[in-house]
Amino acid sequence: MIDWYAANSVVIQATMATLLLALSIQLPLRMGVFSFAGVGCFGIGGYTAAIAFTQFDMGTWPSVALGTVLAGVLCYLLGLIVHKLTGLYLGMATIAFTLIVAVVATNGGSMTGGASGIFGALGGITNLHVLILLAVVVVGLAVSEYGRFGRKIDTVREDPELAVALGINVARYRKMTFLASGLIGGLAGAVTTLLRSTITPAEINFHLVVVALTVIIIGGSSSWLGALIGAVVITWLPTVLSFVADWEPIIYGFVVALAAIFLPGGVLGLVKDLMRRRRSGSGTAPPASDAAVTSNDGPTAPEPSRTPVPSQGGAL
Amino acid sequence: MQELLNTLTLGSIYLLFALGMALAWSTIGILNFAHGAIFVFSAFSAHFISAYVALPMPAIILISVVVGATLSALTQWLAFEPILKRSKNHRSAELRILIGGIGVAAIPIALVDWATASAPFGFANSTYSTQVFEIAGLRVTNTSMIVIIVGLGIAVGLTLWLRRSRQGLGLRAIGVDSETASLMGVNRTAMAIGTMAIAGALAGLAGSLQVFQLQAMGVDTGDQLLIKAFAMIVLGGLGSMAGVILGAFVLAGAESLIFAMNMGTWVDAVSFGLIFLVLLLRPQGIFGRQEVRRT
Repeated sequence: MIDWYAANSVVIQATMATLLLALSIQLPLRMGVFSFAGVGCFGIGGYTAAIAFTQFDMGTWPSVALGTVLAGVLCYLLGLIVHKLTGLYLGMATIAFTLIVAVVATNGGSMTGGASGIFGALGGITNLHVLILLAVVVVGLAVSEYGRFGRKIDTVREDPELAVALGINVARYRKMTFLASGLIGGLAGAVTTLLRSTITPAEINFHLVVVALTVIIIGGSSSWLGALIGAVVITWLPTVLSFVADWEPIIYGFVVALAAIFLPGGVLGLVKDLMRRRRSGSGTAPPASDAAVTSNDGPTAPEPSRTPVPSQGGAL
Repeated sequence: MQELLNTLTLGSIYLLFALGMALAWSTIGILNFAHGAIFVFSAFSAHFISAYVALPMPAIILISVVVGATLSALTQWLAFEPILKRSKNHRSAELRILIGGIGVAAIPIALVDWATASAPFGFANSTYSTQVFEIAGLRVTNTSMIVIIVGLGIAVGLTLWLRRSRQGLGLRAIGVDSETASLMGVNRTAMAIGTMAIAGALAGLAGSLQVFQLQAMGVDTGDQLLIKAFAMIVLGGLGSMAGVILGAFVLAGAESLIFAMNMGTWVDAVSFGLIFLVLLLRPQGIFGRQEVRRT
């Protein structure tokens, strides 16, 4: 066990960092807010922590805290501006925000190190510290998935108009999701940067958005557990199968495209579906109330739709 | 004046790229995130073939256009149609099409990246050679003349086709209400694949012209251009072809201005900032109409 850990500690580290980043994108998605700002906050958190650590001689943890809080605040301000946008427009506005972070970092002069980034920001963070931080974040997210609060979030996502009618302050939920996403993204960036000791503007690009999205799509967007599955798959697959390492981008492209077409609930959605089908006997449709809560947009839910789209029963 | 000419050339390539995206998005409602990858891959295919045979310019452009159209139609047929069929509502379809497009885009980009070892590629082996003319004190290359004429010609032609022809009417009907349109006898699936083929052809055209104009293309050009094209479409207003034309030249002008002011590293911030400004101040764009929404 200890030998195994020593041999794989770098991969474990990468898994945890990827998971944190993915969670910062997943939370807004669970709320129906199509925001990629978490990736930009990864950059803000990382740069802030690195600057505080190298240029202002702050300790490791104050630097991380500063990066996290600053990213959260900036993301909340962004949310105040853009929370009324929906769908693709919001997605693109937040991608634009992420890329602006990279442009600013490139032009930051001696403060951000320009195009070559910041080096030598090696903080005293161990894998155990990351695990504890990750556990705190995951417990917080897990709480938000159950009970009254979890059902409220599901309603905000599935039917905002119904949520308003039920007395849920949808606008406030949307703004708060920006704050939470910024905090998680900033934490991910700060921790990752001080672990790896470098950050460059080239890291905060469209590709990072794609990686975070891939993790969620493979695992499933409805729960933190899905992000965990996705993060494990993404970081461990190349180490287990060596041919995957050579063809990594192509395989991920196929996997994401196939998941978007056939498995909108991800691996987690598939497992939940199978379990539900076994419980309810031989392939009958699951009870609608159960399906509406758990599956994000899985094809299993014959929802009482207002749009005249033919429902597809329990067929995958 | 020289700067104006350069802006016009740059804007024409932007225009060709954005027209295809705007056409598909405003009519069949598909924002194709693989559009940038199709742009790069079709130019690369032409580069790949022209490395073996010395080809003239029209042949290279033709290869690029055909590859672009094929790739785009395949994406629609194999990825977006199944997604539309399996989605229960518009919002989840939109999200899944975006993600599916990102996934599809990764495949050709990875292939090009692998084949070129991330180095820029060009049409070094083609029989086409750039000539420079002096017209009224302006330095004009034959390439930029071709680019400007093709860009504006196709933009005007596409706008007229969409407004005047029967297919254009059918396509716009899908954009307004796809169900009613299909009840009126518009074949939605065939129309959608055809539209995506046109969009892909335009991406291929833009790709090969860009390589002729700039001599080389990098693998990551597609992603940047995709976001720029989004900025142009949003600026003009979704659903307006005139808006795309305006948006392309405004963005090209703004970027040329930034370069002229010697602030080249900020050039990408122009399009990103533009997206922000337009979405905040006038979300429907300059020529767009306000949509009604409740929450």
